[in-house]
Amino acid sequence: MSREFSLQQTKFVLGYARRLVRGNPALWAIIGLMLIFSAIVPDKFLSTSNLIAILRNFAVTSMLAVGPTFVILLGSIDLSYMGIWMFGGALVWLAYPYLGLFSIFLYPIFGLLVGLFNGIVYVKAKIPSFILTLAMTAVLAFLTTYVRNISGVLTLTVPAYDFLRVSPVPYIPSPFLLAIPTIVLAIFVMFFTKLGTYISAIGSNEEGAKLAGINVARYKILAFMTSGFFVGLGSIAIFVHLGNQTRVDFDPSELIRGLAAIVLGGTPLAGGLGGPHRTLLGAMVYVLIFNGLFLLPGVDPNHLKLYIGTLLLGAVIIASKALKGALIA
Amino acid sequence: MESKSALLEARNVSKTFDNTVKALDGVNIVVHENEILSVVGENGAGKSTLMKILVGVHQPEKGELYYNGQKIRFPKNPLEALKLGISIVYQERGVIPHLKVYQFLLLGLEEKFTRFGRLQLKKIFDVSKSVFEELGINVSLNTFMYELPLSTQKMIEIARSILSIRLTVGNGGPSDITPIIILDEPTAPLSLEERNGLFHYIQNIKKNNSFIFVSHIIPEVMRFSDRIYVLRDGKVVAHHDLSSAEVTEDLLFREIVGRVSYYDLYSKYRYGVAEREGKGVILSVKKMSKKGYFQDISFDLYEGECIGLFGPSGCGKSEVAKSLFGVIHSDHEEIYVGGSKIKPKTAPYVRIKKGVGYFSGDTGKELFIHWPVYKNLSIVNFEKIIKKAIKLVSIINFKAEKELSEKIVKKLRIRTPSVQAECHSLSGGNKQKVSVGKWLEKSPRILILEDPTIGIDVGAREDIYEVLLEMKRNGISMILVSDDPKEYVILCDKIIMMSEGRIQKVYSNEEFRKVMEA
Repeated sequence: MSREFSLQQTKFVLGYARRLVRGNPALWAIIGLMLIFSAIVPDKFLSTSNLIAILRNFAVTSMLAVGPTFVILLGSIDLSYMGIWMFGGALVWLAYPYLGLFSIFLYPIFGLLVGLFNGIVYVKAKIPSFILTLAMTAVLAFLTTYVRNISGVLTLTVPAYDFLRVSPVPYIPSPFLLAIPTIVLAIFVMFFTKLGTYISAIGSNEEGAKLAGINVARYKILAFMTSGFFVGLGSIAIFVHLGNQTRVDFDPSELIRGLAAIVLGGTPLAGGLGGPHRTLLGAMVYVLIFNGLFLLPGVDPNHLKLYIGTLLLGAVIIASKALKGALIA
Repeated sequence: MESKSALLEARNVSKTFDNTVKALDGVNIVVHENEILSVVGENGAGKSTLMKILVGVHQPEKGELYYNGQKIRFPKNPLEALKLGISIVYQERGVIPHLKVYQFLLLGLEEKFTRFGRLQLKKIFDVSKSVFEELGINVSLNTFMYELPLSTQKMIEIARSILSIRLTVGNGGPSDITPIIILDEPTAPLSLEERNGLFHYIQNIKKNNSFIFVSHIIPEVMRFSDRIYVLRDGKVVAHHDLSSAEVTEDLLFREIVGRVSYYDLYSKYRYGVAEREGKGVILSVKKMSKKGYFQDISFDLYEGECIGLFGPSGCGKSEVAKSLFGVIHSDHEEIYVGGSKIKPKTAPYVRIKKGVGYFSGDTGKELFIHWPVYKNLSIVNFEKIIKKAIKLVSIINFKAEKELSEKIVKKLRIRTPSVQAECHSLSGGNKQKVSVGKWLEKSPRILILEDPTIGIDVGAREDIYEVLLEMKRNGISMILVSDDPKEYVILCDKIIMMSEGRIQKVYSNEEFRKVMEA
């Protein structure tokens, strides 16, 4: 009896593992990249400091990408994460003298508001989301630089949050710990709530969603709000990672980073499939490629962005091909 | 009997798909010069397969083809068909709206007008102009396609077919070959006036061309064709020469659907008609209109009753059904569901809350094909599977979701390995059951059915009827729109006959059977 039971359990676990790997090609990429880099540069790649760096970068990349995944699920795109991250930090800096430590909560609130604005304009004015959210990022990035310039400081740093930079767990960097709530919450929303179900329903078959009685316009707006909220929440981890300050100059490669994590993870830009869980894997793939290449002998760090760009191009093409099969999670 | 000479003749054509489905079985068909030939039949009768064989998309297993009396082989691809002068205008292929007329006209034919890599615009304009003049199309070549009415767009598509035939066999001018243009349900997207315009145009240009008109809209076929072939289950069951013999719409209709004993059907499924006595009106429609589609539609639907909207395709019945659910919006309507008024332009999600449901047999439109069965079944039943209802982030109770979907799967005998299986792996009939099954637990007050059994086999059909009849016995009112009169006999208590967008007559089930049997 008990033996039968354990046999069934083993079968179940194996079946689950098989589905997990089949449904998430990024898992293969992660395993492959780790093996390759451990074989070529074991002492550098597997050193404690490097593994910690990987965790830090993973936190930053995934925090940029988890939120917008919800909008990409819809079949639209949300590039405003860069703006939310940058100007949200400026708001925290501006509000600190008045709100004290509470001012960090402006981050998710601001994200939510930007998402609300994006969503309403997208649904009501029917402006392509790509243009709309890119413009949003441009405006917010400019405002951030402007705040820095008129304040006459070099960086928008809030030293009072220094306590957040100290990790209570040895070897685990604090940005990674700060990212965990966002990750858990995003996966929860995706799989355990009506909101997540409705968003992926719209992305998978908008007509069907309408016929099934989903208020499509409302849930599109909510998807943008979810995106903004998670970017805002996640930006706290990035804020801490950068030394309690925000970025004040716009760098397009940071914008690509979020998008790359989503696509590499296997959420197609056409929407309907995938989700934040895949984006996490995609973020890991991105970080491993970047980190590993940096360590390889003979790779000029100055050319790294070029290599990354080329690799990404190839990876995106392969990923989109692989996803044409029946890989569904 | 045949005075005109046969231009194209196909004899004994047979085609089987997947070794089992006999799409065509020994079909003989003759096309004369300068005539409009109609091929009519139900969905799945083999019309499209026959046309696809003529244009070289499919190859028949058996059969011979004669061209001007000479035996030739069947075209192996569309280009070979073009060389014979055969071209097809598909129903949905449609135009590219943002091209100018001349660009669209020559789409894919540009190489004939290119010299040293440059398009010779003057030559293009000359050829196009002469074709338009010949065919009597009065449109500037520089207009954008989207600026033109749909019927004119269709005319230009026909002109394009003729032109591509001519350019394939010659230099673009009139040639010895008579083009045979196949029109696959050309009128489907057109309004009534546009249809008439298109047919007058076709009649005007038939002196130089032959047309094969594929359709199931009987009045149009009767009015505009010279001869009619009726296809049923892959065979030619009737042939009418309208110049020599009278044909009535009724006769043609019965030939298309075949002999059915409506009484047998009725007694097989029905256990008494729903009585209105003592029941309340659940849906009241007053003066619903949509310009170009339907006018002054008014009726009352009682509790537990099923009303069918019946009429030829294009009579406005499916538009009425879609408007009732809010998928399209009527211009004017007064609808009361259970006494409370629904405003026009109310979205489907609001109507669902008031108790209106909608089910169409078009599973591609309805299902989330990559989702597991259980999620497709629970999508309209969210209030039943929610653990904690905080309005937006209501948390799903997976156990309840699983139980709900397993209950439906069991009840409808949906054949699926488990409720976890993804919908695209299911057969057509089972997909349809999933699609209708989601309403089973929702219990709307009114369910609107549009072609509920389209494209599925007889066995699966019966299962769907059983489900619908059980829902009806449980007091759910229904509105049915379908192309199959048998379905009305099985499901409906009252049948509203529509024609050209208006209600003509209301039959009881018994009267309807009499009309159909007559």
